[in-house]
Amino acid sequence: MKNIRAQIETKKYVFAFVITAIVFFSALLISNIFSRNRIAEVKSIEDKIAMDILSSETQFALLKESSCKSIDHSGTVFSEELGILSARLSYMEEKQGYSDEEVIDLKKYYSLLQIKDYLLVEQVRQKCGVKPITIIYFYSNLGDCEDCKREGYVLTKLREEFPELRIYSFDYNIDLSAVKTMRSIQGVKNKLPALVIWDENYYGFKTAEDIEKIIPQLKHIRLEREKEESIKSATSSKK
Amino acid sequence: MIEVFFDSILYVFLFLTLYLEIFFLITFFEERLKLAVKNTTDKLSYYPSVTIIVPCWNEEKTVSKTIHSILKLKYLKDRLEIFIVDDGSTDNTWNVVQEFANNPQVKLFKKENGGKHTAVNLGIENSKSELIGCLDADSFVEKDALHEIATAFNDDPKMMAGIPTIIIHEPKTILQKMQKTEYHNIAFFKRMLSPLDAIHITPGPFSFFRREVFEKIGLFKKAHNTEDMELALRMQSNHMRIRNVHTARVYTTAPESLYKLYRQRLRWAYGGMKNTLDYRFMIFRREYGILGMITLPLSLFAVVIFLYNFSFVVFHAIKAIAEKATEISTVGFLFAIPTASSFFFNTEFMVILSYIFLGLGLVIMWNGVKLAEGRFRPSMGILYFIALYGIVAPIWFTRAIVDVLFSRATSWR
Repeated sequence: MKNIRAQIETKKYVFAFVITAIVFFSALLISNIFSRNRIAEVKSIEDKIAMDILSSETQFALLKESSCKSIDHSGTVFSEELGILSARLSYMEEKQGYSDEEVIDLKKYYSLLQIKDYLLVEQVRQKCGVKPITIIYFYSNLGDCEDCKREGYVLTKLREEFPELRIYSFDYNIDLSAVKTMRSIQGVKNKLPALVIWDENYYGFKTAEDIEKIIPQLKHIRLEREKEESIKSATSSKK
Repeated sequence: MIEVFFDSILYVFLFLTLYLEIFFLITFFEERLKLAVKNTTDKLSYYPSVTIIVPCWNEEKTVSKTIHSILKLKYLKDRLEIFIVDDGSTDNTWNVVQEFANNPQVKLFKKENGGKHTAVNLGIENSKSELIGCLDADSFVEKDALHEIATAFNDDPKMMAGIPTIIIHEPKTILQKMQKTEYHNIAFFKRMLSPLDAIHITPGPFSFFRREVFEKIGLFKKAHNTEDMELALRMQSNHMRIRNVHTARVYTTAPESLYKLYRQRLRWAYGGMKNTLDYRFMIFRREYGILGMITLPLSLFAVVIFLYNFSFVVFHAIKAIAEKATEISTVGFLFAIPTASSFFFNTEFMVILSYIFLGLGLVIMWNGVKLAEGRFRPSMGILYFIALYGIVAPIWFTRAIVDVLFSRATSWR
């Protein structure tokens, strides 16, 4: 039979292609805009933390001879900020990939901030005798550390439960000399996950209970908090 | 590296899928003015003689209702005859159809079981009508369905086959409701493929053919249990025009259980691929228009694309669930609840693309319902379709691919 079928309109094909390309690349663009915003948000948190550290350092230098009470750098707010930053960074690492240049840059900055904070806390400790609870955590996300993810969950939980706890987490493989120096000063071997608690190194996965055993203060903090809460609830019920 | 490779294939597939959705929506935009509700003329300028063949095999429960619905059709009685062909039923079908033995419009035939297409062929051979159609014994028609089809044949002398809109009748189970929405989508795509001359199936329920179709290209042939597809492809290979008359509505019952649905869809998917392979000479041949460029490649590769995309979703879902399970087992349920912050709202490219697919899909569903039912009515079927189809369809798609690869034939029932 004679071919009477509708013929292919090249124009329509091309038009559909152009629209598809526009929609497809708009989705890509929107996704990129969101990820840029995320980077900007993380960057601004980092800048804020940098400012806080600088302010604390300056305050510390100014008040060297004065009372330790005036130095405000052992509070929980700062640790919470680091926690927020760490959660956002690990989310970005997961979504944008561990090898994403921008994520790596943000991580390097974060690592430096942590080291600076660690040094400041050390100085305050030596000068004023306060003993902040710190955990230095080394992990790897090259696929060679199965328990690192779980250890990360445990530390996040502890951080949420005890804002007094200062947790510094470092990518063992990050190409940053300051982190490498930190690694060698603490004598951390490549047996990850690795925790440094009060100058003592612990290797392998540690549960929250294990860590609480190593840091008995955490139990005291919890007990005190529970006591406070029971007093509060008792007074509020009296009212 | 491997991940990049698989991701790239996925992007190509997603681009193709998006392209097709947009292509059909453009066609919809072009056709929108022709999608008027119903033919308003009460009388036809000409009433072509019509034979409706009802092949039955063990249909004692439904055949009577089917024939009554044909007898109620708005059409000149002396221009319409009904052939009931009992294809060697082993139940009470033959006795049930005796109630129509004295009806001058009805003729009864009984033959040895040989498959649905042999029953239809017997009817065709005995018919002298200008238009010959078929109605499965589990389906029934709206009163003016034939009127609508005959109008389309009158309007277009070059139209060789007219296919109706098939609607699921009174869905009860969740699976049936899901199928109702699926049929609405099919109605949309069929209507869009129609002006492009790219329809590749003339479905069993209420498709009509000019008698010269059978005179020129022969009767139904055994073809992987999807004979209605083979005939459509044979017609298309002979450049015979097949059109969708969306205002002609036929109701059919949907398989109610997963197993029955699986058997039916496996037959469709397997038959679809096998018949396409048999007519592969039309694929990517410009002379066969959109049929060669889109419909046939799709009927061969859509299953593969669907399964690929599906495995991708499953892979990521399993990964996410496994990670969540590890988190819960490590720190407990309470600490594993994600933080509510816009920062953690997933805006990955793939996710944004899914929202776009969902949006376009909803536009298609909306218009599919409008085409099939006359106006849009929200129903749970849409939800069931979105939530379930992607989960159940891979069951028969996977099996169909395996069967095609190993040339394992499917059965009718």
